[in-house]
Amino acid sequence: MTSTKAKPDKSVTLEQVLRRGDVWRGQSQRFVPHAALDTGYQELNKRLLNKGWPLASLLEIGQLGASSNNGLATQAEWLLFAPAIRQLKEGYTVLLNPPALPFAPGLIQAGIDLDRLLIVDAKKKTDFLASFTELARAEVCTALMAWQPKQNLNYTELRKCQLACADGKGLYLLFRPLSAQQQSSPAALRLRANLSADFLEIHIFKQKGSLNQVEKSPAQLPLPRSWLPTAPHAHLYRTTHEADITSAKKIIDLKRNLL
Amino acid sequence: MKDRLWLVLRLVDLPLWIFPPHEQAVCVLEKRRVIAANPAAIEAGVHKGMDATTAQLLSNCIIYERDTLQEQNYLNQCAEHLYAFTPYIHINRSAFTPDSGLILEISRCLKLFGGLESLCARLLSTLTDLPIAYGLAHTEEAAWLLSYDNYSIAEGDDRALFIHRLNHIPIERLFDWPDAQESLKRMGFLTLGDISHQIERQSISAIKKRLGRDFADFIGRLFGIANNLQQTALFDKPRQIYQPKEFFFDTMQFDYPITHIDQLHAPIEQMLQQLGEYLRKRKLSCQKITWRFFDIHHNSHAINVHCAAPQTTWKLLYDLTHIQLENQQLSFAVDAIELTCQQLQSSQEKNNQLNFSGRRNKNHGGDDLALLEAKLKARLGEQAIFKISYKDSHIPEQAWDKRSAFEPTEQQLPTAYQHAPHPTWLFATPFPAKIQQQQLSWRGQLQLLTGPERIENQWWATPTARDYYMAIREDGLRVWVYEDLLEEKWFVQGVFAG
Repeated sequence: MTSTKAKPDKSVTLEQVLRRGDVWRGQSQRFVPHAALDTGYQELNKRLLNKGWPLASLLEIGQLGASSNNGLATQAEWLLFAPAIRQLKEGYTVLLNPPALPFAPGLIQAGIDLDRLLIVDAKKKTDFLASFTELARAEVCTALMAWQPKQNLNYTELRKCQLACADGKGLYLLFRPLSAQQQSSPAALRLRANLSADFLEIHIFKQKGSLNQVEKSPAQLPLPRSWLPTAPHAHLYRTTHEADITSAKKIIDLKRNLL
Repeated sequence: MKDRLWLVLRLVDLPLWIFPPHEQAVCVLEKRRVIAANPAAIEAGVHKGMDATTAQLLSNCIIYERDTLQEQNYLNQCAEHLYAFTPYIHINRSAFTPDSGLILEISRCLKLFGGLESLCARLLSTLTDLPIAYGLAHTEEAAWLLSYDNYSIAEGDDRALFIHRLNHIPIERLFDWPDAQESLKRMGFLTLGDISHQIERQSISAIKKRLGRDFADFIGRLFGIANNLQQTALFDKPRQIYQPKEFFFDTMQFDYPITHIDQLHAPIEQMLQQLGEYLRKRKLSCQKITWRFFDIHHNSHAINVHCAAPQTTWKLLYDLTHIQLENQQLSFAVDAIELTCQQLQSSQEKNNQLNFSGRRNKNHGGDDLALLEAKLKARLGEQAIFKISYKDSHIPEQAWDKRSAFEPTEQQLPTAYQHAPHPTWLFATPFPAKIQQQQLSWRGQLQLLTGPERIENQWWATPTARDYYMAIREDGLRVWVYEDLLEEKWFVQGVFAG
């Protein structure tokens, strides 16, 4: 009985495998999900297939900080995703395992509807996985922002997440420490966010349906004006500094003349 | 039309009765005044209306604040007992005195219980444990006032006798009409008899002119008259029919003990379908149900299923029960199950706001959310899923509030808050920042960017004075730092992430 069953399997293996939607096939975009949500940034839309964040698939964001001893993984995630989340007019945005307490006044300023924002705490890895898959499959959850628990997720666990995301229709984000970049992952889009003094730099290093392995230059997203050093302070510093130099020069000149 | 007969059972000292009995002196207070005292306190010289401090000094008594909720519950219980005698029961609670009692219309049940005396004896024996003052009259108002006199009840009592008794009641007993009482005293009225003489001479309109329509109406109702004492009221006040509290209860006994939770699904569904049918027929809705599982040794296990919104159908209740059962182990073989639903509410009384704004219906997906919430709570615990809301406070760590997933949130920021940028992440306990060689640092060097925003508050409690700045760390992270002006220390309290 077993031998007869095995035979037909062998003959159609490749075809069956290729027919599966979740097999990566280089630049072929046949099975790449086409539903996408505008990122709100032109610079970023250009670099993404379908001109936006892919929906119904796992997005993995590498962030600096979680691996270091401070344990706080946050790198302007609201700046990056708030424009997309604001476009969702239905359902709930769920924060799973957020790195700190979401601060209501700041979120209101960012345009997030608090009535449609839920926070779920699941510190243990097993609880995290169960909650992630449950949330991704729930229709009411249209955006999920999840922060990996302290224990790293392995490939199988990530694949479980990806499969749950494929069952849903929303935007599913998984924030992981930068060190996880070396690990292989079934996420449809993997990127790295890096906050500098003037820009938020986004490196897309893996995208399903695209073979551009490493981009030469990262996408540079502008920061809010209040995040940049304000002119008055800078100006003050420069003028006093310059004034000091000029007065010093004058004194030297005077001394020279006296001599 | 048969004359009506009203019986008032006034529960004397109910405010005191609901508290546990003591040998020591006990006083019940309302607005710092004694409203009830036990014999020990009265012996020590405490009287009603005395202020709390004097009562305490006199008798060294135990003091309770009046518990009107518990009083109401007790009255409801009494009404439920008396429902066996008459359907016309209502509860009367005086707004000006601490008195309360039950008013019963008994003219229709005299024959059934073998006459007035036998009925009254049976009624009073149902409520034996409590001191009761009773009053019988042809109107409910009269019965209430006569309950202070404790006339004995006899078979032949009629309207003329009741009016005769009313005429002897002093004006001071009109507790619920303090203004009218005052005016009547000034005009020289001493008893209700003086009022009835006045009405006999000039009809009720003179009373109406002097003391207002409401009081004249009350006098009319009290004597059961229209314009003068000869003319009885044309229409009787409609009687209130007592509505006993409805609840659903169903039980199922199994032929064999059930050890597997899967086997419980079918009976649970069947019982919930019956609940659904019950709700549909009575146009009711329910929010909470209780399951109790029993084994043959009378061990029991209870599960409460609670929905965020009242349900008129059984589907969601079934799903929620299912989720709860999945996470539980049966410690015994189930022999019987019981389903109880205590709080039923009319599904028509539910208020729904009209949606003029054209915005999406906020209850959309409410059932899905209820299921999702129940699943997550079953796994992660009650506190694991929540919403945050803005709360009006200048102190950042107090400017937010935890809400349940179904509660609406506050999202209106005051204008003062709108100008300065605020972080999206907040640390419940701020991290201290170090100052080394004139350089601020917290897990990396910090440089101040914008600020300060000064927050001063709570001078009446713990004074707070802080200067808030946005700072940039070496790695580009924007953090929210503040200098505590009172302690002269620096702290990091939040992170700007968007």
